[in-house]
Amino acid sequence: MRAAAGSWRPAYKTKVPQTRRTFLRNSGVGLLTFYIGGCEVEMTPQEAREAEVAFRVLSDTEVATVDALGEILVPGAAGAGLSHFIDHQLAASPEESLLMIRYLGVNPPFAPFYQGGLAAVNALSQTQQGKPYAGLNRDQQTEILGQFAQSNPDGWDGPPGPFLYFVLRNDAVDVVYGTREGVESLGIPYMAHIEPPSRWGES
Amino acid sequence: MIPDEKVDAVIVGSGAAGSAMAAKLAAGGKQVVILEAGPDRNAGHLVSSAIWARRLKWGGAPVIEEGENHVGHVFNAGWGVGGSAMHHYAVWPRLHEEDFQSRSLYDQSSDWPIDYDELRPWYDEVQEECGIAGDAEQEIWRPPGEPYPMPGVPLYAQGEILGLGFEKLGMSTAPLPLAVTSTQYKGRAACIWDGWCDAGCPIGALANPLTIHIPKAIDAGAILASRSPVTKILTNQAGDYVTGVEYATADGEKKRLMADLVVMAAFSIQNPRLLLASATDQHPQGLANSSGTVGKTIMVHPAALVYGIFPEQTHCYLGAFGGQLVNQDSYGKQTHAGSGAFGSYQWMVGQAVKPNDLLGIATTRPDLFGNDLHAFMTRSAQHFASMTGVVEDLPVAENAVTLSDQSDANGVPLARVTHTTHDSSKALWAAALEEGKAVFEAAGATEVWTGPQAGMHIMGGTVMGDNPQSSVTNSYGQTHDIANLVIAGAGLFPTSAGVNPTFTIHALTARAGDYLLGNWNSLIP
Repeated sequence: MRAAAGSWRPAYKTKVPQTRRTFLRNSGVGLLTFYIGGCEVEMTPQEAREAEVAFRVLSDTEVATVDALGEILVPGAAGAGLSHFIDHQLAASPEESLLMIRYLGVNPPFAPFYQGGLAAVNALSQTQQGKPYAGLNRDQQTEILGQFAQSNPDGWDGPPGPFLYFVLRNDAVDVVYGTREGVESLGIPYMAHIEPPSRWGES
Repeated sequence: MIPDEKVDAVIVGSGAAGSAMAAKLAAGGKQVVILEAGPDRNAGHLVSSAIWARRLKWGGAPVIEEGENHVGHVFNAGWGVGGSAMHHYAVWPRLHEEDFQSRSLYDQSSDWPIDYDELRPWYDEVQEECGIAGDAEQEIWRPPGEPYPMPGVPLYAQGEILGLGFEKLGMSTAPLPLAVTSTQYKGRAACIWDGWCDAGCPIGALANPLTIHIPKAIDAGAILASRSPVTKILTNQAGDYVTGVEYATADGEKKRLMADLVVMAAFSIQNPRLLLASATDQHPQGLANSSGTVGKTIMVHPAALVYGIFPEQTHCYLGAFGGQLVNQDSYGKQTHAGSGAFGSYQWMVGQAVKPNDLLGIATTRPDLFGNDLHAFMTRSAQHFASMTGVVEDLPVAENAVTLSDQSDANGVPLARVTHTTHDSSKALWAAALEEGKAVFEAAGATEVWTGPQAGMHIMGGTVMGDNPQSSVTNSYGQTHDIANLVIAGAGLFPTSAGVNPTFTIHALTARAGDYLLGNWNSLIP
């Protein structure tokens, strides 16, 4: 009796796809799908950022806050499309999510964690500096981040500050150091068996 | 298609235990259906990326974690065909003789219902079937057994440097026994040591279910159905045997698959969850739970994480994710008794690492960000080294799975798991870290630091034993209460030992499969 659930072959008999296009066709896994004018368009988060693709979960304020935090945590994270990466993964089903938060003890959905955390950062910024986080200068942003990275500041109303720092830092590390380009920038050969479909590892 | 008619055996879960049991029973002529809760998998899904690999981690019904030291369910469990073995690192040492007799020998912890000599033939059988690379003679701590069928894994700079540290302290190392091909083996390609084990090795070098037992099971006629989560184990009205399982289809419809034998192989948390959730009037505490021990004694190895920077190039991106060398000099249960510790541990030495993810270089220094982080990443990339201690987690009855009052989309109560590490195990973990730091310093590290206590390998919850009053199953995984209900996997372990569990899961499963086939008529109602 043959398999009901797909064509099973021993992995060693499977020809490893050599090109991105071949991989995409064989695996059925595409690039990020963005929606422009009601049409589905596949592109990388960096391309999506450059094309100013609309966000699906995060608000404009949240996007600006994520990008500002990302730049302090890991320089280059905003330009690498951090906010599109997080936004798309929050829109995906939890089992498809590529965010590290999926195994950090937070049960899905994950959007309330991010949105609650970003709101708490902005509230802290407003209280102390009279501006949202993205409107602060770099020194002020670093100072605010340092506060919640250590412990919950007075009046903090969000997920535990040190944990929020840890999660956002991991996301920024992913997009800057976790891609082929990022790995190779450290002088480490990437050595993929199966190439991720873009430098992001998105679906 | 999942058949409408009754089959010989339904196996719940397609991970290491489920796929191996399916292959064994199907080869023995039984009609077998494997029901897998998660999605289908094939080699094309195993993308070489520490980001993509997260899809191999648990993605099913949430598990509520409590206690001081969480088991890390999502990180340790798997999602989809192949289960957690799809992202396991294939470190396959054997348990030691004393692991089976801790209570008898030391009046601490628990005994297993079998001894090493009883299990040894199946270790040898599985070793030949799946292939292990190692050096039995150099592994001076290894219990008796056939030599490894493949030579030991290659040593890269990181392993050489750390090995020298052990040597300077008068300690020994040997190639880490890995179920990874150091040469071509039974038609499988040799590993190219690029450190992508965690992302699910798509070339067949690592002995995961997709490479070994799923194809064997299918070739022998087994049916594998993904996206078919089991929601209940069914019994006859009198409650003296099981009749099959209820499962949910992709559109939420509940169906039944009747079977002579039900094998629960859904890992250490979901097995007790389903047993407890299948309570009946005849089994008000849940199935196979007359002892009241279903769900109890959940264990997870505290990982002792040691990191360092060396002046030399370490080539820390080469090798296997599990490491290059093993040291078991501190395996004796009472080695660190003076510090209040009890139990065993081993070192896995010289892991291949990536820059990102939970075990990546960046995460070892979570305090750094911005330019400081970048400076650290730049100097670490070529000079980083790590090793991990697998520390025994003593069994504690209160570390347990219970049912939540919340339910999943199919109406099954969620699992709640509580785990707080035994004080003696915490002491052992701390002692291991001190030893680890000394090794790195002896090896010439310019910076040495350690990580927090993290849990790896979830065991227990459906513990086997000789006494039906204090255990769930006999040594074959057959439940004491219901003869045709069998449990497979690490949930059976009465103790965690100080080595990785997957080889022992396979040996126990192979032994159980042979027993079931040889005693089929006496088991089946």
